[in-house]
Amino acid sequence: MEDFLLAVSLLFTTPLIAVAIAGLVWGILGGALPGISPSISMALLLPFTYTLDPMSAIVLLATAYIGAEYGGSIPAILIRTPGTNAAAATVIDGYEMRRQGKGGEALGISLWSGFIGSMFGLAMLVLLTEPLSQLALAFRPTSYFALGVLGLSVIASLSGKSLLKGAAAAILGLMVATIGTDPISGVGRFTFGSPDLLEGVAPIFVMVGLFAVSELMTHSGIAAHAIDQKETIRVRLPSLAMMNRLKRSQIIGSIIGTFEGLMPGAGGSIASFLSYNEAKRWSKHPEEFGKGSPEGVAAPEASNNTVASTALIPLLSFGIPGSNSAAVLLGGLLIHGLLPGPRLFEENTEVILGLYMGSFVAIVAMLVAGILILPLCVWLVNRPRPYLSGFIFALVLSGVYTVHVTLFDVGIVLVAGLFGYAMRFFGFPFLPAVLGVVLGELVESNYRRSLVLSGGDNAIFLEDPIAVGFLIVAVLFVVLALVGEWRSAARLRKGVKA
Amino acid sequence: MLASPPHGTTGRTQNDMRISRAFFGAAAFLAAAFGSGLTLAADTPLAYPHRVVTLVTHSSPGGGSDVFLRDLVRHLRKHIDATFIVENVSGGSGTRALARVANASPDGSVLYATTPTYILTSLLSQAENSYDDLEPLVNFFTDSEIVYTRADGPFMTLRDVIDHARAGRGRWGAANPASLERQAAEQLKRAAWVDAAVVSHEGGGDLMINVLNGTLDIGVGEIGETRAQLEAGQIRILAVFNPHRMAAFPDVPTVQEYGYDVVMEKFRGLAGPKGLPPEIIAIWNEAAQRLLADPEYVASYEAENLFANFQSHDDYAPFIAEFAGDTEGFLRETGVIP
Repeated sequence: MEDFLLAVSLLFTTPLIAVAIAGLVWGILGGALPGISPSISMALLLPFTYTLDPMSAIVLLATAYIGAEYGGSIPAILIRTPGTNAAAATVIDGYEMRRQGKGGEALGISLWSGFIGSMFGLAMLVLLTEPLSQLALAFRPTSYFALGVLGLSVIASLSGKSLLKGAAAAILGLMVATIGTDPISGVGRFTFGSPDLLEGVAPIFVMVGLFAVSELMTHSGIAAHAIDQKETIRVRLPSLAMMNRLKRSQIIGSIIGTFEGLMPGAGGSIASFLSYNEAKRWSKHPEEFGKGSPEGVAAPEASNNTVASTALIPLLSFGIPGSNSAAVLLGGLLIHGLLPGPRLFEENTEVILGLYMGSFVAIVAMLVAGILILPLCVWLVNRPRPYLSGFIFALVLSGVYTVHVTLFDVGIVLVAGLFGYAMRFFGFPFLPAVLGVVLGELVESNYRRSLVLSGGDNAIFLEDPIAVGFLIVAVLFVVLALVGEWRSAARLRKGVKA
Repeated sequence: MLASPPHGTTGRTQNDMRISRAFFGAAAFLAAAFGSGLTLAADTPLAYPHRVVTLVTHSSPGGGSDVFLRDLVRHLRKHIDATFIVENVSGGSGTRALARVANASPDGSVLYATTPTYILTSLLSQAENSYDDLEPLVNFFTDSEIVYTRADGPFMTLRDVIDHARAGRGRWGAANPASLERQAAEQLKRAAWVDAAVVSHEGGGDLMINVLNGTLDIGVGEIGETRAQLEAGQIRILAVFNPHRMAAFPDVPTVQEYGYDVVMEKFRGLAGPKGLPPEIIAIWNEAAQRLLADPEYVASYEAENLFANFQSHDDYAPFIAEFAGDTEGFLRETGVIP
């Protein structure tokens, strides 16, 4: 109670509200720019925090994280380009809704779900840091491997029409993930002596290339008037009935997001793909998924926004960053001489309370900011096609260039774009490829780490109950998907005969 | 300064004389003995031919070298009359930062924060610029590399860990595949003649979790990365790879004391483009010693468990060359590079 009063008093005695809103807006803009990941938008803010007091600095960074995770969904829905890794799953139904002229509704749903997810995550952070942090310790390399396999098993539901093409795309993604420094031995692989490839190919560049560049290339081949839709998409929050319908997928998303946030290295991407998959499984209208289902937007968005708060749990309780963004936040803490860990809660109560309060302010402000920013975004994407395409090209490529200030990255995006164009042409789905790039390193490095531990004995996976559980679920997913595929093929054959 | 050159020049000469006399002995001792004289000298920053000096690091904001530089800069202003800017050049695994410095003009206006990473990166990549294109300037610190285990685990000393590995198979962890920590663990394993899996991770956080949950017997890491767990009493330090015991932990023996001839020094210093002029080198040799004796800075770096280890340019260059030779040998033996 005393803490609560102190927290409330911080609202009026410190510039907390202004800082939180500034961080949020910066985050949304960073997240919405394709190529600028949440961690980069936070890192860009870091120099500004040097002169701030510790509490404001941390609030600024944490709220930028919240904003960025939300912002990533805006281009995912409007221009079929996820602004962040974790928004990749939002593309599926978000962009489909926009194509059906329901873009405003999709934006409203993602905003609302982001709000719910963030609030849920914040509640977990405030109330359950202690027990949840113990859970983070239960994960061993074997468990991470199994988690990655579970993530990959979702490919079936992302493959669209052909499971085979989906699997092929996923393998392509996994191959890209092997480029760079070997995670266990440190040997360079497929780097061809180029230092730029030592760190591997960033998933975000692959996504920007596959989605945005290939989309722009496709558009350049179509007469402008043929695809110009003149409908006005007004941004609106979901109605009560819709809110009710979204509830289930948001709960699924928030719970999965909570757990993923705890696991270092997993991050929001697996969370949003898994949530999408689960929301589809438990939905009353699974057939709508992939064809513009509101739940298909709500689940991943609730989930990646939950991660933005729960990723702070291992950071604050152990000083172990759960994601790149959390690592930047750790840097922010260290620069201000704050050492994360149990003592932070005792010695710097004010900073922690400020962080909670600032996050709360930012999440509430997110609804308002979204409603103000979104119409502008919608107006932008409704400009005549040629201008829009040119603008997006400039935006995307300059965004990518800013990250490391190197043309090499721009080259990667363009090559990925060519691949995307070819994949589109031959009907290969993008998302399995993205999943492969994102999860490849997690699966590979933890598999090999487990084997180094065991001396090459695969039985080590059976000793870890978490791994066994995940692997069983993964096998079930794959079997169910195969059975479904086989059934629909059988039905199709029957139809042809009849 | 520009308005009255004669006056300024004489003032500087006097200061220089006083400082060089003051630094003949141990800086720390003199700080106490001639407190007042030193304060006067330290109050007047050394003149520098550049108004703005850029300190480049491969580390992203908040990373190890970034934090080191920013803290350094905060105190350096009192000792060198210039404005220092920290520039984070990320990407290419650190090679881009190397290239940025190697191709800058060698006049002391652009310097680089050295750590073993710049040697490792040069050896691992076939980048155009390597550590050989930089000239080591001065060293400031040794970062302590320690062996740690979970506090509620069965290992009380490094001897227990070695015995365990001898009886069966040890499970040891290091933060990154191509790192000083892995090198330390591999060399310890060889020196002790035991079988242990040396598991590399993707950073210190990953490693810490696996030590805390008992997947690994021990972890080898920088003491700075373990501070949170150390203060919370979750881990125990078993040994340190430094040549001497740490001041803050006098009870922790060195690995050498256990009878294994393995010493690791994670150095932190500065380097510049090849061909730095002697007057720049002289200024830094002096400023570095002044800085390391500055009581405010001492308080700040001791809290980080950094071990002041001043090396002048004349010592630093051979040290780096030897270090690079050892590291290259290690990378070849472990098959990381052909």
